[in-house]
Amino acid sequence: MDNFEPKIVAFCCNWCSYAGADLAGTSRMQYPPNIRIIRVMCSGRVNPSFVLKALSVGADGVLVLGCHPGDCHYLTGNYRTRRRMAITKKFLEYMGVEPERIQVSWCSASEGSRFAEVVSAVTDDLKQISPNRLFND
Amino acid sequence: MTREIEQKLRAEARNLLEKGKVDRVIGYGAGSLRFATTPLIISDKGDADRLVVNPFIHNNLSVFLPDLCGKVAIVAKVCDARSIISLVQNKQIAREDVFIIGVPCSGIIDLAKVQKLTGLDRDEIGDMSWKGDKVAVTFAGGSKEFSAGEVLADSCLGCDCSGFQEFDLVIGEIKPLAGGKDLSRNKIQEMEAMSPAQRWEFWKNEFSRCIRCYACRQICPVCFCERCFVEETEPLWVSPLPKWQDNLIFQAVRMMHVAGRCTDCGECERACPANIPLGILTGKMEDIVEELFQYRAGMDKDAPPLMAAYQPEEAENLMR
Amino acid sequence: MKKIKKQNAARLLEKWQKEFTVFVPSKASGVAQMAVWDGQDLAFLEHNRNTVIPPKANFLPSIQKMFGFRKEEGGYVLEPTDEDPPKQLLFGIHPCDARAIAIIDMVFKDAYEDRYYLSRRQNTVLVGTACTSPYDNCFCTSLGFGPADATDVDIMLTDIGDSFLIEEITDRGKEVLAGAKDVMAATAADEKKARAVKESAKARVSTKIDTDEIGKRLPLVFDDRKFWEEISAKCVSCGICTFLCPTCYCFDINDEMLRDGSGARYRNWDCCSFAVYTKMPAENPREDKWRRVRQKVYHKYAFYPELFGIIGCTGCGRCIRQCPVNWDITQTLNSLPAGTPTKKQETQKSS
Repeated sequence: MDNFEPKIVAFCCNWCSYAGADLAGTSRMQYPPNIRIIRVMCSGRVNPSFVLKALSVGADGVLVLGCHPGDCHYLTGNYRTRRRMAITKKFLEYMGVEPERIQVSWCSASEGSRFAEVVSAVTDDLKQISPNRLFND
Repeated sequence: MTREIEQKLRAEARNLLEKGKVDRVIGYGAGSLRFATTPLIISDKGDADRLVVNPFIHNNLSVFLPDLCGKVAIVAKVCDARSIISLVQNKQIAREDVFIIGVPCSGIIDLAKVQKLTGLDRDEIGDMSWKGDKVAVTFAGGSKEFSAGEVLADSCLGCDCSGFQEFDLVIGEIKPLAGGKDLSRNKIQEMEAMSPAQRWEFWKNEFSRCIRCYACRQICPVCFCERCFVEETEPLWVSPLPKWQDNLIFQAVRMMHVAGRCTDCGECERACPANIPLGILTGKMEDIVEELFQYRAGMDKDAPPLMAAYQPEEAENLMR
Repeated sequence: MKKIKKQNAARLLEKWQKEFTVFVPSKASGVAQMAVWDGQDLAFLEHNRNTVIPPKANFLPSIQKMFGFRKEEGGYVLEPTDEDPPKQLLFGIHPCDARAIAIIDMVFKDAYEDRYYLSRRQNTVLVGTACTSPYDNCFCTSLGFGPADATDVDIMLTDIGDSFLIEEITDRGKEVLAGAKDVMAATAADEKKARAVKESAKARVSTKIDTDEIGKRLPLVFDDRKFWEEISAKCVSCGICTFLCPTCYCFDINDEMLRDGSGARYRNWDCCSFAVYTKMPAENPREDKWRRVRQKVYHKYAFYPELFGIIGCTGCGRCIRQCPVNWDITQTLNSLPAGTPTKKQETQKSS
């Protein structure tokens, strides 16, 4: 899989993970350029239909990033994220989507380096599996 | 024995309407096809004699509750009753507006399975009835007996009615089915033995037949959104065109949307005119929800819905 | 009349395969529908009960590309789809479905000639097989024809045991059959046997509706809201009856856009039972379910006859067999109240 650069759609919550991404940027931390960030106000906004839409238009992986449980700006939003995305991961895996394609992580506004780490790790995971051809005819 | 249950049910329904305790009774009436029943909504006590109880009362009548006004008595098998409570949990109906009449159910006979085993269409079968713990099917020139495991619907084989306490009235005795969850999970286990690529290929093939009639969604009592996600065009999550990709996405998202409310009643699979085995998805979803969150839909009317609740620590092993 | 032994039927299909894409009733996909003949399967010769998906799918597919388009220098370039679809031969069409095709033909030729439909229609040969085992809920005989009616096909085959009796109905049928080996002249005994088979099938159609009475009552019960609310209470507004109906033809049009500005326009099946079918920005005239159920009955049994002189239903029974709540149009039609004339109807009567 040489030269395979996975395309990752990352849903980042406005208050924590998006700020964390911003910090990684302003601190000039190096991390793979494979992610395309979509900012949402809360990771709880992420509907399973977003995940499937991203995969159907060719994303190799979807990453959902939110505040650490207990620290959600809206108090309980990321608890919903956790339940919903746990189900989404397990169910889509059961249907045949590789588990590496859908990942969830928590990253606070001050964790610029963690953001970079998570993105690197997810990118590496996806480089190990083939490009997304799930929705090809 | 079913005759007795039927008579008792009719008497109770008549009584409830006569005394004005309910405005309507919804139950099952004789269908226009062999071995068919049909939803029957009555408000006149004289119609109580049209109610039937037999091994073909498959419809989950709770789907009609949100649209019915006034107080409604509903004839319910345990799976349906759980759907009713699931609707109460989700504030789609008020508990006090429903009078739940429980009827015993030995499992719904899956006509598709009988057809496969006998090669006969519905109208070529003479009679189908229980003979002890076997189902006897008679036809021109003979008869055959099948075990429950061969002809009952998968979701029925895994029936676990223990612990359900919300019936307002129980006619006869509601007993758990002999089957056991394992029998109902055969197809799911087969699926899990396949590789991810094989599984995806399976579903790609199945959803190539989907014609997007939305019968699965319409017949489902817990698909109660006033505006389904497929109707959204900006942005367009799923194309209305019946391409397999969009058909698959529609069903996968639908399953995830009803997670925690679905009680694996089997109606979506039964309704599908293209014979897509949706039970393999609903059964697994119920298992996922129970395994991850120790939650079963429709058991406790005061329990918050699955997605409205949380534990401080849970499912962290699935997060990065 | 002619005939062919069943054991030679495969050779006839093979001959046709050279010129046409041959479709036969098949369950191989997982649901009974017309599918391209694989050259092997012959089960449909013996067991030919009607398919679940109707043959309208061969002229009006559930998804049909109308044209492609791409952005070019400030405008759009249209790429029309292949205007000459491959020739197809549909083998094993039941008279109810053949009649239904003739019924839909009227719509697609009326006022505007729909070439997406007609180009396929004109490239099709219909080889019918007389129905020998109608379902218990079929009611074709109430609609002016029967299970062996050959009016709407090019060739009609009747199962007479070890052979098929062949009737060449149209010139196209004659043309297509010409040169087929194994086709021999039928004897008087063969023809007698075929007549018996046809009569027997007709006698087996047990469900009946009284179209005269229905025609009288429908104009009078349109406003009987109570009746329609009761009748429609158990409908769940899915699309099964419409999509499986051989005479239903409503379609929706949707564009698929790709990121680079190119895309395609498709049409796909739509259903008047859907709650959003008549949804418009200003209002939805059929938001109430009873209005949609009423409309379904009227379209087929009142409006279509008004417009085209024929009832838009052929009694195939698919809607009844597949409906998840066993809503039954024959029950609805047979229980229409006597009705009361509207003021307008009364003045029309007296003038």
